[in-house]
Amino acid sequence: MTQKQKKQIAAVSIFSIAFGIAPAVNAMHIMEGYLAPKYCIAWGILCLPFAAAGFLKIRSTLNENRRSITLLAMSGAFIFVISSLKIPSVTGSCSHMTGTGLGAILFGPCSVSILGLIVLVFQAVLLAHGGLTTLGANTFSMAIAGPFAAYGIYRLLKKLKVNHLAAIFLAAAIGDLFTYCITGIQLAVAYPSEAGGIAASAAKFLGVFAPTQIPLAVIEGLLTTAIVIFLESFAKSELTSIGFFKKEA
Amino acid sequence: MIIIDKLCYQSKLRCVNAMEKFIFAMLTLILCIVSRSFTVSVLVLFITGILTVRGGGIPVSRYIKAMLVPVVFLTLSTLAIIVNITRTPLDAFALPAGSYYITGSCKGITEGLRLMLTALSSVSCLYFLSMNTPVTDILEVLKRLHVPRIILELMLLTYRFIFLMLNLSSAITTAQNARLGNKDLKTSRTSFARMAGSVLILSLKQSNALYDAMEARCYDGVIRILPAHHPARRSEMIAIAVCDFLLAAITIFIKIRR
Repeated sequence: MTQKQKKQIAAVSIFSIAFGIAPAVNAMHIMEGYLAPKYCIAWGILCLPFAAAGFLKIRSTLNENRRSITLLAMSGAFIFVISSLKIPSVTGSCSHMTGTGLGAILFGPCSVSILGLIVLVFQAVLLAHGGLTTLGANTFSMAIAGPFAAYGIYRLLKKLKVNHLAAIFLAAAIGDLFTYCITGIQLAVAYPSEAGGIAASAAKFLGVFAPTQIPLAVIEGLLTTAIVIFLESFAKSELTSIGFFKKEA
Repeated sequence: MIIIDKLCYQSKLRCVNAMEKFIFAMLTLILCIVSRSFTVSVLVLFITGILTVRGGGIPVSRYIKAMLVPVVFLTLSTLAIIVNITRTPLDAFALPAGSYYITGSCKGITEGLRLMLTALSSVSCLYFLSMNTPVTDILEVLKRLHVPRIILELMLLTYRFIFLMLNLSSAITTAQNARLGNKDLKTSRTSFARMAGSVLILSLKQSNALYDAMEARCYDGVIRILPAHHPARRSEMIAIAVCDFLLAAITIFIKIRR
């Protein structure tokens, strides 16, 4: 990053802190109609291989054991509910978790890609978070990039014998931040700045959403850790059934 | 708990053929983002707004409140598009800040406003679909569009479970609040985590019982719902065709002139 870009980021973040005390903070869904058709299609196509992989994974799971359909549906509903509930946050404003990190750690990134797609459809239709034309872009950032990043970090830190809870915290927080960075870049690619092109535009988008998203990532990390602690102490057998401990071994 | 889901069951347009509504909403939505013009956006906002409020009988206050849901995203990101930070001022406005300018161009502002209007009109298309069509009807449409059976089954069950879980979580939250579970930030955070954990555990336990119950009623991988039969009316089809044809004509006209 050049000196100029650093200054830009600093200036934009000050500006946005002053300007953007938002009453309601949603996870960063790109809203309906905000992307031009070619970007909608491009991001959609980029999601296809992941969705196909997820679909095959789910189909083989179901062929193996038909009972798991209720389990999968419950997992999807859980991700939806977690991301639609207000969480206690610093400013007293209502903000939402993305639930991607938690989903990826509990259910594995492959099934989360399909579950996330379904959740995003419902979020668009029932809550108007995100949209149908921006489904591809949102799926890529929230159901693919975020969970895979979170899961990768989680596995890596486990390999490096980092403290279990720290690994979960970092995986969830960084997964959240990664989602937000990808969304910023998606917006920047679609709307390059008049002065400075895509890089300057990305800096602007990231700067504008930083004051809401960075605290949110920390909260998401804390909550995810607390949820996993709770589950590990009370529901070992249930966690085994969704494959959480199977992957540990 | 989810307002849109309640509204769509009360809507007067509920009994209109779901495929018609779906096609109308999607075509109009696509025309909106393809044309990205003031004219088309205003027309679409007007048409879908009237259809949802007058045709569907959705209260105006609800509709306006719903239109304001994405407003934070809209303002923040449009701001990021309009405002630039450069060494040389642009033509619309410029605030000096050190050796830099917080500045924007006329072209940028027009683009930003056009984008805002396009996005709002697209949201109104989405609302036309979701405020007048229950999810089960939308699933029926998706089935006719040959979405894989497993995905549809998963969607149907997920949709059902969302409400079970929301009820569960609100009951637990009420219990926690009654016991000062939210007295400060730290307790409320712990409470939230425990609530989320319990919801997951309880519903995992339920999911097994649910499968047993479904299997006892001859579940074989597909829940067969008798779709309510609402045939497409010719007058409606003509109206949709005329409306979207006009919008498409305007779009093409604008694209050629640009």
